[in-house]
Amino acid sequence: MIEFKDFSFKYKTGEKPALTIKNLSIPKGDFVGIIGNSGAGKSTFTYAVNGVIPHHYEGDFYGEVRVNGCDTVESSPTQLALSVGSVFQDIDGQMVSSVVEDEILFGLENFGVPKEEIDQRIKDILKMVGIEDLRYRNINTLSGGQKQKVAISAVVAMMPDILVLDEPTAELDPQSSLQIYNMLKMLNKTLNITIIVVEQKIMLLSEFSKRIIILDSGEIYLEGAPKEVLSDTSRLTDIGVNCPRVAALANNLNQLKIYNGPVPVNVMEAETMVRSVLG
Amino acid sequence: MKGILEYSQGETVIHRLNPLSKMVIAFLLCLSSFANNNIYCTIGIIVVNLLMAYLAGIIDRAFSLLITLFKIGIVLFLLQVFFIRTGNTLLNLPFNLYITDTGLKFSIMLVLRLVGATMPLVIILTVTRMSDLTNVMVQKLHIPYKYTFAFITALRFIPIFENEMTGIIEAQTARGVEFDTKNPVKKLKLLLPLCVPLLISSVKRIEGSAISAELRGFNLRRKDSGYKTYRFIGLDYIAMLFSIMILLTCIIIL
Repeated sequence: MIEFKDFSFKYKTGEKPALTIKNLSIPKGDFVGIIGNSGAGKSTFTYAVNGVIPHHYEGDFYGEVRVNGCDTVESSPTQLALSVGSVFQDIDGQMVSSVVEDEILFGLENFGVPKEEIDQRIKDILKMVGIEDLRYRNINTLSGGQKQKVAISAVVAMMPDILVLDEPTAELDPQSSLQIYNMLKMLNKTLNITIIVVEQKIMLLSEFSKRIIILDSGEIYLEGAPKEVLSDTSRLTDIGVNCPRVAALANNLNQLKIYNGPVPVNVMEAETMVRSVLG
Repeated sequence: MKGILEYSQGETVIHRLNPLSKMVIAFLLCLSSFANNNIYCTIGIIVVNLLMAYLAGIIDRAFSLLITLFKIGIVLFLLQVFFIRTGNTLLNLPFNLYITDTGLKFSIMLVLRLVGATMPLVIILTVTRMSDLTNVMVQKLHIPYKYTFAFITALRFIPIFENEMTGIIEAQTARGVEFDTKNPVKKLKLLLPLCVPLLISSVKRIEGSAISAELRGFNLRRKDSGYKTYRFIGLDYIAMLFSIMILLTCIIIL
């Protein structure tokens, strides 16, 4: 459970608040996608949840953010890390070792997971993510998608309640992006981990997330289930967020009063829609 | 020569040795090449090095290292052999240069020692995972984890920065900067201003890396946090005994 109350944060070097959120709560097990233009406050949103602000970046912090009841200002980032796992944008930069196994070990060792359990945990997580064969590989030799999976497994191995990811597919091809999202969906479903993901590809969000938050110049512009958020193409294009083509098609058909059903979020649903329109 | 210190994966006898005993062996072999004054003995040590590389399954790399070291050695040899002027003259050359027997022996020894002393460490580092080495230093030598982590991170960032530099150079070449010039001085002049963007981006990346490490509990780490333990096995004692014997032989032969 994450709660924002009258939250606002202005970086020391910034002129106006980077992010202002009056009231928002994200229940356990949610899958939230965050989208918006650069400078809209997406990364700041993730920093607010994992405690990087105010602990690493200085600035003016107003209001409160609570993660599982703990105030993020009062708890240290290390304390917060027990419930919030973070995957950053810079894949190479966030690795701490050169071998996959050591990368996963790092967090487990630090948080004092009993040594008898460690091996099983590593095996479980590698199996779950589907990278058992990479255990002893050198990280430098992995592809972008594989590295991203390693970064995610290293964090999930610590069994957080919440997983925060900042553009996990920024450097990936469509196929690997899909794999990452399928994996997130599985983690969300089987382990009931709350997923908060910043993403530029709205099609992925519309298909996988349960809720989309659209940020614009530091404020929540739209918020709701993908079908609701995507039902208004013009509001999205106003702030320069691309609407998925299937949603745009549905909205156009809606304006022409040909179709008034729910907005499709993937190609399959779009097919059903087109079939129903064509009779 | 590229990737000479890169870890070579394997399950050989040498790989299975304790990282600490590997370092001790490398040190002893290094010491041995300085402890004797006998050409055959030093050649013997080079042979032992090659044998070790063979056992570790990296004989190809060892030979390429050997060739590189000999190339450096030739320069040193030429410098030394003309400057030592004591002893009996063996060969008279123009420009008042001559080669003496003392000079010749000294120069050959110098080259052989250079090769014999450099090889063990490189071979050992090639078959030891950096993380194992630092873990064992924390556990057995009680070096604070912070230092070993900084060391490992520095090593890990080298290829990352290399990539970044290549990226910057490519971007600038595409915009007409003449990086493909053959004139090394000109190239260096073009490269120097790139240090600024590289420095800025590296500071940013390192900051991100530090945050990521902290969020994964870096501050909670204690000396006994390490999952892997490094015990000495029979093989370690045999290998170390063997290296001590080599050192003693060298000292006795002198």
